[in-house]
Parts: sequence; structure tokens; C-alpha cells
Amino acid sequence: MQPILKLEAISKAYRGVPAVSGVDFTLMPGEIHALLGENGAGKSTLTKIMAGVVQASSGRMFHHGVETSFATPNAALAAGIAMVFQETSLVPSMTVAQNLYLGSESFLNRLRGITISAQQFLQSLNFGVDPTAMVETLGAAKRQMVEIARAVHHNAEVIIFDEPTATLTPEEKRHFFALLRRLKARGVSIIFISHALEEALAISDRITILRDGELVITGETSSFSRESIIAAMVGRSLSASIYKARDDAALRKPGRKVLSVQDISMGAMVRNTSFSVFEGQITGVFGLIGSGRTETFKIVAGIAKRDFLRGGTITLDDRPVRYVTPYPAVRDGIIYVTEDRKSEGIFETMSVGENLFGGLLASGKAKARVVRLADIKALAADWTARLNIRVLNADARVVELSGGNQQKVVIGKGLVQAPRVVIFDEPTRGVDVAAIAEIHQIINGLADAGLAVVVISSYLPEVLNLSDRILVCRQGRIVEELSPTEATEEKIMYAAVH
Amino acid sequence: MAILRSFGWKSLNQERIVLAIAIGLFVMAALALPGFLTTGNLVAILRSVSVLGILALGMAVVVIGRGIDLSMVAVMAMSVAWYLQMLGNGVADGTAFALVLAAVIGVGLVNGFLVAYAEVPAIFVTLASGSFVFGFVRSQLISQDAVPVPRGHWVETLGRLRLASVPPEVFLFAGLAFLAFLFLRFSRWGRFVYYAGDNPQAARNIGIPVRPMLMLRYVISALAALVAGLLTAASLQTINTRMVNSTLLYDIVLVAVIGGIGLSGGKGGVRNVLYGAALIGILLNAMTIIDIPLLYQNLIKSTILLAAIIFDGVINPRDEQTAQQGDI
Repeated sequence: MQPILKLEAISKAYRGVPAVSGVDFTLMPGEIHALLGENGAGKSTLTKIMAGVVQASSGRMFHHGVETSFATPNAALAAGIAMVFQETSLVPSMTVAQNLYLGSESFLNRLRGITISAQQFLQSLNFGVDPTAMVETLGAAKRQMVEIARAVHHNAEVIIFDEPTATLTPEEKRHFFALLRRLKARGVSIIFISHALEEALAISDRITILRDGELVITGETSSFSRESIIAAMVGRSLSASIYKARDDAALRKPGRKVLSVQDISMGAMVRNTSFSVFEGQITGVFGLIGSGRTETFKIVAGIAKRDFLRGGTITLDDRPVRYVTPYPAVRDGIIYVTEDRKSEGIFETMSVGENLFGGLLASGKAKARVVRLADIKALAADWTARLNIRVLNADARVVELSGGNQQKVVIGKGLVQAPRVVIFDEPTRGVDVAAIAEIHQIINGLADAGLAVVVISSYLPEVLNLSDRILVCRQGRIVEELSPTEATEEKIMYAAVH
Repeated sequence: MAILRSFGWKSLNQERIVLAIAIGLFVMAALALPGFLTTGNLVAILRSVSVLGILALGMAVVVIGRGIDLSMVAVMAMSVAWYLQMLGNGVADGTAFALVLAAVIGVGLVNGFLVAYAEVPAIFVTLASGSFVFGFVRSQLISQDAVPVPRGHWVETLGRLRLASVPPEVFLFAGLAFLAFLFLRFSRWGRFVYYAGDNPQAARNIGIPVRPMLMLRYVISALAALVAGLLTAASLQTINTRMVNSTLLYDIVLVAVIGGIGLSGGKGGVRNVLYGAALIGILLNAMTIIDIPLLYQNLIKSTILLAAIIFDGVINPRDEQTAQQGDI
């Protein structure tokens, strides 16, 4: 049987950082193909190439045996390949019927006409969705049905789902899987990206596992077990030079307990989580995307607010604190180094010096009462040397720097505030390998200097290599504490997935 | 574009273009127009842009912090009209002034509160508060469109004052511009305006009190409007509340934006206001001397504004992400 889609040695690099390298992939007609891997393994990029959202840097793609490449998602859709995104791409203020026919309306568009044909179409799929309902009034599962209906309506023979079950309730999940089987029975091929291994094992015909942008293994689902999938997801080769194993003696002993968090909650994202942070060591926090790890520590840093009632308690040096804004947290020496430096980390039109000086000014620890250019320059010179920030000239805007140097600026902006507790959220995301080593050195230096350091990461080797103790976050709470000597990537991953 | 940049054209930003155009216009007008280069006319130019400049300073502080204040003209006209009305009704000067000052600060605080805490876009908040101030004062507090300055009052004296034949608003504009410069350039809170304007979320994360500062900025713009209103009343010996419906508001935005204060926030300073005011002042004066009808004056002003913004956009392309976050 000829595969619908066949990818040969597909590579894709973003600004020189490889996201996918040399991956082969085949999709057979009428199969459900699960695509698994850690965060950043290249799953989304690979499917986006198939759906024409991004273009491969190199490699070849065959559609029904003919070499093709899709310049736009529209071109892929015309060829019968549809992608259903995590964030739905429906228009909330339009009805279900209007959304179904969006982009394929005839010149004279009769609302009643499309409502009737949408009704018939949805019934033929056995979807219980009212075509006249506004999309904004629908729940996550129904929205997904509309997305799927739209894909089927475009006569898609390949439908790609990116994390389709993340927002669904168990009941909705069952409906969704039933739907996948019905689609399969109609001859539609399905690619299914997921973090939930049980789901992949239960529903798929074949499984492909990616790691660090490379293909690890493809095979029949029956040949996999939960353990073998986890092993394939985390087994690592390329990063061995940066990430070495550590023994007991190398771990830092906990100092004084600085921060004690009891039972804090925030909506559905953080649920009754408790933990402590100690001086002079690095507390690593691992969790998959959506596990509430970022939200938990944003509460600690005063960026997010915990529930007003039954929100739990946070104790800093035996003193209960409740921050409503980051301002008092910074004054108390708690800083948060964001995972999203672009939208909440850097001041992109400003120079490195101005960025750093902003931190100093905000902390209220600046000595001079008047802002002087010379002070900004001296600060910039001091910290660019300390953190090894490479700038072409002192007036260069931060947005012109590389990702690694931008990250160092964000870190420096926090460190000039003379903190006691530093929370790093994904400190090496989008950073080249050389800068990763330097940033790790900075983080280790802080812990050696006696600061309480927290490193949130979804990259297992980073967690294992940096941490003196490891907390695992799952569904809004810290579920397990491990020592790096006894922990393995498999153990951590096992605790992090349900 | 790459070629332009490689020749060092990057330093040719909107601010310098506007300065160059202003100087060019000045030279051309001096050569071509009789009576342009006289002391009397130069003072007239300065005087005409002084009130506008003071308003633009207030607007600049708000715009640098990624906001906009469309209530300024309403606050300017209505606060002074109410003040003069109270004086006319025999309220003691001190009491009347204290009431007006409190009301002006109150409008600034409400604007700031709604933008900062209720998170309503600034353009809607200030548009609504401007209409409210106008409607409320006109219908409840004053009896006519125009309110005269009472005889012998200090506002009247202020209007008659001359120092070397230069009216007081010119000195006041110079003084306030210097104060605004000191505030924005050297003070902690002044610098915070830039950080909050560049990236409000990042500013909040590093511990800048973003929201209280936002309220402060709207109070500053409201106070600038009050000063401008008093000066207008002084020079005309009356305040005409119909100015709320004039194009003055757009002239304020024009002066701030044309000088190179980006609506996306975090960019510009007092110098940009001065350049913008210089260009607009010379332009309006020259057009008046040539006797170009008012309709065409507006057309020319808007064309120049558009050209300056487009040229700035071409020479200093904005980052994709900033563009997505949107202006104002």
C-alpha cells in the first residue's frame, strides 16, 4: 500500500537552532499515528511542516508518491491535509455553521442555506452540535468537534491533532476517541500528538517517538509498552557532554529554610500544593506544560495572585507573606526570571545598560537619587563582564542580541536587585549550546554564594544536572520529591505523567 | 533599506527629519515672506505654540507610558470655565481654586484608575471622561458657553504681563519643559515611565509599581491641561468652552507624535515635543501669513504627520512582536 505522506530526511532550523533534523516519517491511509516526545522534541514542528504552516529547511516530502511542499496552510488544506491546533482557530463570534463554511462561502451567502447544509453535514458525522450556536458559547470538546467537522468538510484525508485531549474532561475524551475511530473507518489518516502515553497506547495503530529533533523509533503500537516509550523519549546521546551524572558528595546540603509554601491554590491551575525552598542549594522543578509549575512560582513571586479564600499560606523567614504585586516580593528579595523573555522579560527598545538599570531602579537599591548616564554605563560594563554578555556596542538595543545574550540580560536584570531567592523559569529555552553552559555556570554560582535558587525546567537532563533536589509537578501540585542521585529520567517522567 | 543603513542613515530618525523640515521651513519663510523675520512675528510664533506645547508635554508623558489622554481639552476648558464662573458668582478665590484643583486631579485619578485597574483601553476611558467633563460642567456648573475673566483678577493681570515684550506663557512653557525634562530624564519615577511604556509586563515583574504610576501620569496630563487653560483665559480674557469641539486635541497629538514620540510607548522625550512644537508653530504662522484657508491648513498638517510617521516606520522598522501587541 502506498503511504499518503512520506517524509525523507526532513530538517528545520529556527535561526540556526535545529528543531527537527533528518526525520523520516510515513503515514499510511486510514491509520492513527501517535507522535510522542518531550516538550521541544520537534513534534509540533514536524506536523507544521506537513500542514504547510512552516517550510522545511531541507529534506523531501511526498504526497501520494508525488514530491510536494506546501507553501501555506491553504495549499496543504487543498491537498487534503488539515491541522487542528491546540488553540482553536475558530471565530468565537460566529455560529457553528458560519465557521464550518468560513473561507468557502459562495459569493451570495445565505445564512439559512449554510445552516441547513451544516445541520445535515454534522448529522452525517453524528456530531451533536447545534449549527446555529455561537462558537463562544461552546465548551472545549464541542469546539474541537467543530474544528474536526471543518477539517472533514474540506475533504481532508489527513487530520493532524496537536494535543487534542489536553483540555478535555474524561467524558469528552471518550467521545473524542470514538470520533477518531469513526474517522479512521471513513479512511481518514490521523496524526495525534500527545503527552498522555496511555491514550496513545490505547488509540493508535503506530507510534513515532522524537527526541531532540531526531527520530528515535517508529513501530506498531503493539510492540511498545509504557516503559519502553518513556525510555525512548528520554534516552539521550547528544547532550552527554553538558549533562554529566553526579554523586552524593557533589550535592549541596540544604541551608536555612527560606521559603515555606503550604497548601496554596489558584483556580484550576494550582491545587493545594506545598513545598519548601532552602538557602545555598538549587531546587529543580520538573513538570510538563500545563502542570502548573510556572503558575505556582509566579504566585510565590507575587506576579499571580493565589485564591483569596483557602489560598494557602506562604512563609518567608517565618513571616507569612501575601504579595498582590511583584513590587513587595522584589523588595523582600524574591525575583522571578521569566520563561517568556520576549513578552515579559526584556525592554526591547532599550540598551543592555538601561535594561539592567531598570532592575536596580525598581529594587530601590540604587545609591544615587538622580539617574546618571555614567551610572548606567558603569553598571552595564560591570554586569556584561560578570555574565559575559556579548554586545557589539554599548548602545545596541537588546532586541538585536542573540537569544543567549538576551537571556543573560534578563537574568542580570534580576541579579542587580541583590535577591535572596531566585526563580528561573526555563532558563535555557531558545538558547544556543554554548550559552546554556554559561547560564548553568551562573546558576551554580548563585547557589554556591548561598542564595536559594529554584530552576523550573521541562528538560530532564537540565533538571538532573543542576538540581540538588528535584520536585515534580503534576496537575497543579508538587507530587514527588527526589534526590538527583537516586532519580533517573525515567523515574521523573513516570512521576510527571499520570 | 540595508543600503540606506550601511551609509549611516539609521541615525536619520523621525526626530531629526522633523527638525530638518522645521529649519528648512523657517529659512524658506524668512527669505520668501515679508514680515516673517520680525521680532513681533517671532514672538507671535512662540506664543502660539506655548499653550499647545504645554498640553503636548502632558500628552507626551502619557504617550511615552503607552497611553493617550483625549480628555485634555475638555479638562482644560471646563476646569477654567468653572473656576471663572465660581469667581463670578462671588466664591472666594482660594476656595474656588482649591475646588478646581481637586476636580482636575480627580479626573486624572479616575482616568488612571480605569486604565490601570479596570484595564479599559485608554482611548475609550479618556474619550468618555472628556465628554463627561464637558457635559457635566456645561450643563450643571456654568451658564454660558464663554465665561469672562473678572476684572482685576490675577488671571487678567497675568494676561497683561510682558517681560521684554514676551508674554508669560512662553516662559511658563520653557520652565515646564525643563521640569518635564528633569523628571523624565533624571528622576526614578520618570525613568519608570519609559520601562512601563516599553514593556508593562516586564516592568511589573521587576517590581516597578506600574499601576500607581499610570495614575500619576494621567494626573500630570490633567494638571498640564489646567495650566494651559489658565494661560488661554489670561491671554483672551475669557474662556470659550466651544474649544472642546475644535481640532485642538488633534493638534496636541500632532505635536507629540510628529516630534517622534512613538504611540507604541517607551520612545521620545521633551526634545521631541520641542521639535514638534517648532515645526507646527512655524508652519501655522507661515500658512497664516500666506493666507491659506483653515481647511487647507488642516489638510497640510495631516499630510505632514502621515509622511513623518510613514518615514519613521520605513527607517526604523518595528519588531514583529511589538507590532502584535498593538499601539495605545
